[in-house]
Amino acid sequence: MLELKNVKKSFGKTKVLEDINITVNEGDVIAILGPSGSGKTTLLRCIEFLERADAGVMLLDGMEYSLKKASKREVHELRKKLGFVFQSYNLFANKTALENVTEGLIVAGKMKKEEAVSIGRAALEKVGMLDRSTFYPSQLSGGQQQRVAIARAIALDPKVILFDEPTSALDPELTGEVLSVMKKLADEGTTMIVVTHEMGFAKNVADRVIFMEDGVVVEEGNAKDFFEHPKEKRTIQFLRNSAERI
Amino acid sequence: MDSRIIEELITSFPKLLSVGIKVTIPLTLISFTIGIGIALMTAMVQTAKLPVLKQIARFYVWIIRGTPMIVQLFVVYFGLPSIGITLAAFPSAVIVFSLSVGAYCSETIRAAIESVPAGQLEAGYCVGMNYWQTMVRIILPQAFRTAFPPLSNSLIGLVKDTSLAYSVAIVEILATAQRIAARSYDYFWLYCEAGLIYLIFCTILTFVQSRMEKRMERKR
Repeated sequence: MLELKNVKKSFGKTKVLEDINITVNEGDVIAILGPSGSGKTTLLRCIEFLERADAGVMLLDGMEYSLKKASKREVHELRKKLGFVFQSYNLFANKTALENVTEGLIVAGKMKKEEAVSIGRAALEKVGMLDRSTFYPSQLSGGQQQRVAIARAIALDPKVILFDEPTSALDPELTGEVLSVMKKLADEGTTMIVVTHEMGFAKNVADRVIFMEDGVVVEEGNAKDFFEHPKEKRTIQFLRNSAERI
Repeated sequence: MDSRIIEELITSFPKLLSVGIKVTIPLTLISFTIGIGIALMTAMVQTAKLPVLKQIARFYVWIIRGTPMIVQLFVVYFGLPSIGITLAAFPSAVIVFSLSVGAYCSETIRAAIESVPAGQLEAGYCVGMNYWQTMVRIILPQAFRTAFPPLSNSLIGLVKDTSLAYSVAIVEILATAQRIAARSYDYFWLYCEAGLIYLIFCTILTFVQSRMEKRMERKR
């Protein structure tokens, strides 16, 4: 469904991604773990073309895109097949919860307003935010904003949803409500790539785990094997340090 | 202050006020409207980083901000005829004031656009919108809130700056006050009265500004 080949990216002289190769099958939930600065977020941003990679190819839904040279039109097409959830939610501050969800459908998807509203309401319902549909982002808690942001992503009916540390900006009490919405999506067979520090989510919800450090994939495997029988020394160390925190 | 002066001030007040309404206010509103249009375009070509246009925008702002408005008025009204372009006083003033508002307010608008977090544009991209769609529907409405108080400032500034039109023979508030005073020699009182008219206009604008700010706050 989605395949990344030889993705490379540097900021100035700093190599952020060195030859990343990842395959995502339909219905997969992939958790990308790794210490800060390992390039996880940059990888996700390159997939969404919020950053231009220096090299690499992406196969999505039978189409091939150059991560470096894709044209504006290709990027536009590709973004319609992807959903993106930001760490800092990035809800449109001048729009209500419902408008946040319908904006892309109406403006970019050229959908009729009534149709967009009914899709929007269904998406808000799914994340448990329908009763807040007329609220502005500033009137919502962080967890509520992130759930609206997830509704905004699923309303576009993307092939894959990319989550960039969706709970990192939330206080511990609010992470649960966001993670349970994500679990619900995973159970429904949504294809998801999740950059996260939530070990519990990776262990219990993800099908596969990718562990990155310094721009390379250190270890990759199905979630059960990864947590129970990690192979690489660095992975073992990372898991031990993460466990200590709990 | 004897009763003759009081009587003169009372009879001159409606004259000054009516010149204010017929000359100063139209001059302000026309110039400000055109100026905001110029400012918006100037700010947008800079934030969108459009090549060439961006340089032209910077050059324009540099020239207008770096020269006195009265010199600009003289160049347009007294100077242009000598190279074959003759403009009436009112259009000359409108051109100069619009360009001035355009240059100063473009910086206000540009800063307001830049104050909107980059994530808003990225979120627009992620739901399939392009740069201009996101700009018009998401970024500019948010930037407008930030820009509103300083833009109101510029409008109030322009009301007073229109008195410079006196120098190109437009009969506005100050010129009218001078004409009346020339007959009675009560310069002190009439110039103060002219100032009072400006003060009244600016007070009304300040009041309208704070009402509108409160309304925008409620909508958020």
